Amino acid sequence: MRAILGRSYPRIIGANRDRSWLFYDTVLPLLGTIAFVFVYKTLGAPERFIGYVIMGGAATAFWMNVMWAMAAQFYWDKQGGNLELYMIVPCGIPAILLGMSFGGFVGTMIRAVAIVLIGSLLFGVRYAVTDVPVFLLVFGVAIVAIYGLGVTFASLFLLWGREAWHMAELFMEPVFLASGFYFPVRALGFWAAMGTSIIPLTLALDAMRQLMFAGSHPALLPVWWELGGLAALAVLFLVVARLSLRKMEFLARREGRLSLRF
Amino acid sequence: MAEAVVPPGRAGRRESALRTWWRVVRVSYWLGWQVESNWTDPLLFFIYSVARPLGGVLILVFMYFVVASGGRGPVLGFFVVGTALWPFVVRGMMGTAWGHIADREHFKTLRYIYSSPIPYRAYLVGRSLAQATSAVAPAVITLLFGRYVLGVGLHAATIDLPYTLVALVLGIAGIVALGLVVVSAAFLISGEAWRMPEGVGAALYLVCGAIFPVTTLPRLLHPVAEAFPLTWWLEAMRRGLLGPETVKSFAWADPGPVLLYQALVTLAWIALASLVFGVAEQRARQLGILDQESMY
Repeated sequence: MRAILGRSYPRIIGANRDRSWLFYDTVLPLLGTIAFVFVYKTLGAPERFIGYVIMGGAATAFWMNVMWAMAAQFYWDKQGGNLELYMIVPCGIPAILLGMSFGGFVGTMIRAVAIVLIGSLLFGVRYAVTDVPVFLLVFGVAIVAIYGLGVTFASLFLLWGREAWHMAELFMEPVFLASGFYFPVRALGFWAAMGTSIIPLTLALDAMRQLMFAGSHPALLPVWWELGGLAALAVLFLVVARLSLRKMEFLARREGRLSLRF
Repeated sequence: MAEAVVPPGRAGRRESALRTWWRVVRVSYWLGWQVESNWTDPLLFFIYSVARPLGGVLILVFMYFVVASGGRGPVLGFFVVGTALWPFVVRGMMGTAWGHIADREHFKTLRYIYSSPIPYRAYLVGRSLAQATSAVAPAVITLLFGRYVLGVGLHAATIDLPYTLVALVLGIAGIVALGLVVVSAAFLISGEAWRMPEGVGAALYLVCGAIFPVTTLPRLLHPVAEAFPLTWWLEAMRRGLLGPETVKSFAWADPGPVLLYQALVTLAWIALASLVFGVAEQRARQLGILDQESMY
């Protein structure tokens, strides 16, 4: 527990020593989000589509945190020389990763709320959440699933050098597409959307949109089914993360890649 | 024989400087290409190169389809050309800045490159051109995807090849100039230098008519959009590739004046980049922060 809090400290408290992240982590994602809002405005789309885009912008903040500050984090730590230290501390890597997840979630939550608030105020979007407890439950389970996925990726990225950077970049637009960040995922087709539901944000966004735009959102599955799917993904990724972390750490040690920087 | 012993005159020195520039651009282009591409095998590099722009265009296509209920229109061509060309900006402009920052902070080679007897600007131009070259494959694939899968009107009859090529060359020059301006800022920033190029790219993505016509922006931002060479480049490329049926950001201008405006704005940015780069470089040297690391 102390290790978890210790690793989350720089992400929650330390980050506030240099507040430039307020600009870079809220304004910048907002610029991309606004660009997609203008696309819907060009197309003359109804207001709920602008709400979709703003929610997609908030989801982008979480996805980028998971890819850059979870999956690829060990790559940065390799460059900075921290990875070797993590490997020899007695708390073990899982506690470090949990601390990264907790700290990352708190920081990203602030960013996501800022994106939703500023975006909604700028474009006058209103939301009517029909069932707040279920909405919060979906969000909570989705966060566990997505950070579980982040830990799984972190173990894979442990083996990589320069590839880590490029692979994290590769998982941007294709994932935004597959998970329906900016449009209802049902538009991909039922079976394609079911396939991309392996990414937790697909089901999470669809369920939350159903609760926010009840009656007008073309749902992929009923909300409770999606909640069940998210819970299954959360368990799956936590188990896979635990197993792959052990395996990849062993491989990385055996192949001497733990301190290989380039 | 007499020519060989005569000390080089003014003309001789100028030719020598040009030759040095050319050599440095050529070698740094090669180096840039190696840095960008040799981290994996060619197949994965190709997939990596095309996946993001194709993902980008498909996002827009699905956004279009959910609103237009499957119908097709000229705005689809607007999306395809904008998304196909944007990797030139991402790689040519943002990539140049990231290259500079990576040399400084990641590979820690900037001090050796900078202190070697080469013009650093030429080195950056070569790196920028290498980055831009890596955008050719995604651009071509995205355009072909638009033509054959989405049925966008990219036909031999509508493509004005000479016009498009001139617009492309001017566009690359504008991107390199913007890249030098961003590097100038990176000279003076340390802590958030990694994120700054992305910020500039995001802002340009919003104001330059990359994925929607400039006319959709609030009127206040129209002069801002017109001040950037990218806006005119994207408009000229759409006119050149899609013909007169394309959705226009500047409906009042014919293709000729669009190209002329692009050339003028690009020239202005080249002059500005030269000035800003010199000032920022001098300032960074005075402050002793040219190779300052952020210890990310």
